[in-house]
Amino acid sequence: MKPIQNLFLVFATMALLSACKDNNQSPSTTSTEVKTEATLQQTGQAFIEGDQSTTVLSIAMGSKDHTTLVAAVQAAQLENVLVNAGPLMVFAPTNEAFAALPEGTVENLLKPENKDALANILKYHVTPGNYSKDFLKKFKKLGQANNDYVKVEVVDGEPRIGGAKILGSVKAGNGIVHIIDKVLLPPTE
Amino acid sequence: MKNLIKSTLTVLGVLVAFTSCNNSGNSGKKSGALASNVAEKVYVAPGEYDSHYAFLSGGYSGNVTVYGLPSGRMFKEIPVFSQFPTSGYGYSEETKPMLNTSHGFIPWGDAHHPDISQSKGELDGRWLFINENNTPRIARLSLTTFETEEIIEVPNSAGNHSSSFVTENTEYVVAGTRFSVPIPQRDMPIKDYKGNFKGALSFISVDPEEGHMDIKFQILMPGFNYDLSHPGRGKSHGWFFFTTYNTEEASTLLEVNASQNDKDFIAAINWKKIEEYVNNGGGTMMPANYAHNVYDEETHTATSTMKKEVRVVNPAEVPGAVYFIPTPKSPHGCDVDPSGEYIVGNGKLSANLTVHSFTKMLDAIENEKFAGEAYGIPILNFEDVLAGVVEQPGLGPLHTEFDGKGNAYTTFFISSEVVKWKLGTWEVVDRKPTYYSVGHLTIPGGNSGKPQGKYMFAMNKITKDRYLPTGPEMEHSAQLYDISGDKMELLLDFPTHGEPHYAAAMEAGIIKAQSQKIYKLADNKHPYAAKSDDDTKVVREGKEVHIYMTTIRSHFSPDNIEGVKVGDKVYFHVTNLEQDFDVPHGFAVIGQNNSELLVMPGQTKTSVWEPKQVGVWPFYCTDFCSALHQEMQGYIRVSAADSDTPIKWSLGEDIE
Amino acid sequence: MIIGALLLLGLFKFPLWNIMLGAPQYPDPLGMNIYIDGIQGVSEFDLQNIDGLNHYIGMKTIPKAHEMWEFSMFPKVIFGMAMLGVIIGLLGYFGKISYKYFLGWFLFMSVLGILGMYDFNNWLVDYGGNLDPHAIIKVTKPDGTPMSYKPPLIGFKKLLNFDVTSLPHAGGYLMFIGMSLTLVAFWLGRKTSLKKTT
Repeated sequence: MKPIQNLFLVFATMALLSACKDNNQSPSTTSTEVKTEATLQQTGQAFIEGDQSTTVLSIAMGSKDHTTLVAAVQAAQLENVLVNAGPLMVFAPTNEAFAALPEGTVENLLKPENKDALANILKYHVTPGNYSKDFLKKFKKLGQANNDYVKVEVVDGEPRIGGAKILGSVKAGNGIVHIIDKVLLPPTE
Repeated sequence: MKNLIKSTLTVLGVLVAFTSCNNSGNSGKKSGALASNVAEKVYVAPGEYDSHYAFLSGGYSGNVTVYGLPSGRMFKEIPVFSQFPTSGYGYSEETKPMLNTSHGFIPWGDAHHPDISQSKGELDGRWLFINENNTPRIARLSLTTFETEEIIEVPNSAGNHSSSFVTENTEYVVAGTRFSVPIPQRDMPIKDYKGNFKGALSFISVDPEEGHMDIKFQILMPGFNYDLSHPGRGKSHGWFFFTTYNTEEASTLLEVNASQNDKDFIAAINWKKIEEYVNNGGGTMMPANYAHNVYDEETHTATSTMKKEVRVVNPAEVPGAVYFIPTPKSPHGCDVDPSGEYIVGNGKLSANLTVHSFTKMLDAIENEKFAGEAYGIPILNFEDVLAGVVEQPGLGPLHTEFDGKGNAYTTFFISSEVVKWKLGTWEVVDRKPTYYSVGHLTIPGGNSGKPQGKYMFAMNKITKDRYLPTGPEMEHSAQLYDISGDKMELLLDFPTHGEPHYAAAMEAGIIKAQSQKIYKLADNKHPYAAKSDDDTKVVREGKEVHIYMTTIRSHFSPDNIEGVKVGDKVYFHVTNLEQDFDVPHGFAVIGQNNSELLVMPGQTKTSVWEPKQVGVWPFYCTDFCSALHQEMQGYIRVSAADSDTPIKWSLGEDIE
Repeated sequence: MIIGALLLLGLFKFPLWNIMLGAPQYPDPLGMNIYIDGIQGVSEFDLQNIDGLNHYIGMKTIPKAHEMWEFSMFPKVIFGMAMLGVIIGLLGYFGKISYKYFLGWFLFMSVLGILGMYDFNNWLVDYGGNLDPHAIIKVTKPDGTPMSYKPPLIGFKKLLNFDVTSLPHAGGYLMFIGMSLTLVAFWLGRKTSLKKTT
């Protein structure tokens, strides 16, 4: 029952987003969010109207290949983190990358009680910094927003982030989005 | 049942989202954040006074602004490191020496961290210290006259950032260098940084009576970046703590190369031990060149003296005085709680907050439990000194302040919020968003052994939509919170001037009572003062013409002057004879190449005017001083360079 | 009687009279204290500021001690009267002279006091009304005569934007108490002598 309910919510959210086409940063809501202080949760830089500069969030939200990531970000209440002055570097796994995870993983993570685990995984995709794909080759590791490190290797002259390949990069006003082919999972202790 | 409620709420939430979408998604923000009763908490009725003074750094404006809390009203801008045409600071002959340095006259500065003087660990409201980051200097402001009284340059330093924090009895104001440099400065390849550059931590003694500053000693530390610092207090009085980053000692691309070490250090300095070492003749005097500028309230004039040597101490030669405490990920803020037990290191790339224990540190030192050493300085074990960790409170922790009730408040730049947590249990109690990207925060007295916490304000780097837009450049924003309850309550959002880098604040009582109203004319010892109309005169000394002038409502004396020639250097020495509170007079003359003068009652200020054209030129009072302010004017006649017009001056009669 | 007379000496320390001027621009009012030997500001620079304001309307500056004969005369008179009172008191105490001298001293002092008040008022009239014809601001009353800025002798008065309050001060009150005590002494003396006769 629950996964279905949540799925419905994701759809509802998507519907909302398309309903507000002229303002793709408008508020959206998921089940984890609906508390009495719901309105308060929607303040911050993520919700400034008429701010025309692109952010790593708006880029992700505008991409049809990242609907799962966006839904997850919203479920974990990380919108404001992704629009901050940064600079921020987001490794954005595609929908396919999420689909490649064992069945049920995403649904499970979207459950309200798993919000912290979800946030931890998502933060593992965020680096304070702004580096081009080429520049990333200089690093041996990156300190991620969840306080863990992700390994950087160079394979065939290309950087691999935690084993993931960078498929493409989009510059944003507050950083950069690198599209990757794999979901990064934080090291377990 | 539970699920049913949840689903209902969900539907409601979606509906809310829909409606808010219709009216541009903004309705919840203003009404939700500020309830109407909040307005009463910040309302200071006309004629009433605020309960607290707040001194905000102007950041790259180089100045300090004075605010009232809780109203958020700005009362004054005090010029410190930057020229200020409003009053003539840095333009008048008397104040130009204040901005003198070993690099010559510098018209601008980058002001960072104000700190109020303390006695026995409590704010005493005598002076405000503030550092200049770019050309390293420390200034001392009087909180009686609200003027800059003294500026001392810090040699061997570069990027004077871990400054200017005072010890418990204002024994020292401390200044650390953010950039390490060759000491002494010399021509050498940049790539040879590692092992050759050094970081100077300067302990500047403060005279307990007059407040005069003098560099007692500089500790020449390894070439790391010394980012921020705070004094020990209470049980840890006698120690000083500095955060470091770039312990990798990289000279290029620090965002990669200074982030390679998992941990950098907090340097713990037993300054009492080094003071004793120095008092017994320890350390060496090394040649230096730095300016010491002092403003004398009686002559109303600043003098600049170049000092030629400074005492330096090699920490490796004072055993037991300096230790390194490993602290994760490039710590920025270094904050000590009111008891002196906890030292908070805010690793700016860390998601966690690290808190060290002073007691554990002493134990580890006593048992000589060292993990190694760096340049002869013992490194303690992280685990031995760790008091606790606040787990993932937010993203990008920068600075922490304390309310004196066992709570700490930390700003998070990236997640743009203030998080309240408990000392000892390390649990997060509350979090409130800031608007946006907060840097420092201030609790009145939060930097002392006795915080006066009722308010806390966060100073932000980004303003965006908080106020009516003013083009691409906006003033920064600050938010005031009531912290008297369990949860923080947002009270007010007010714009600040320049960059509100950091602020010091305290209850108004002491400062309000001592604030000076006038300068006594009888005490005026300015060499060019005219203390009555009888003293007014015009004196030619070669190409220089000195005009001894007075102002009183509503005339200049003299107000007709002749005998000045093109090519002369004319000094208007203007003395304000008023002895009445808040009756300054201004002075401006056509074609003045510097700024006006704003002369306080009983004060003398001098403006230099170099007339380039023959004519009869007016001067006037710029400050609306009285009902007859518009009548407060005069003329100065400028004759050709080869003319023989005699020097003459008068008031109330025609010349000749 | 002796105490009463000695209280007069308080006038050397405390002001006789006080005039306060308040206005919107002066939330801390300006004030002058009138002593028997001169006028002083309540705060350090009050007199200078009162003079500064008064020059707009052409008033003379507040007299210095040496500019008015009263300020050299008053101390002598007060001191003389105090001594005379002490002598009368002592003589009366030892029964050398009649208690009626007490009343005599009181009446004499009252006459001097009234003369003093009259003189003070004359000065106020002159100070407030004898204006410089070249004054910057000239205000006339509805009937066309120049406005007088005479402060009230006792009480409150509004002069342009200033609220002026004029009242006796500590020294003045001490004088009144002293004079009243001599009356008490007279009455006590009378009572004792009446008792003796009955």
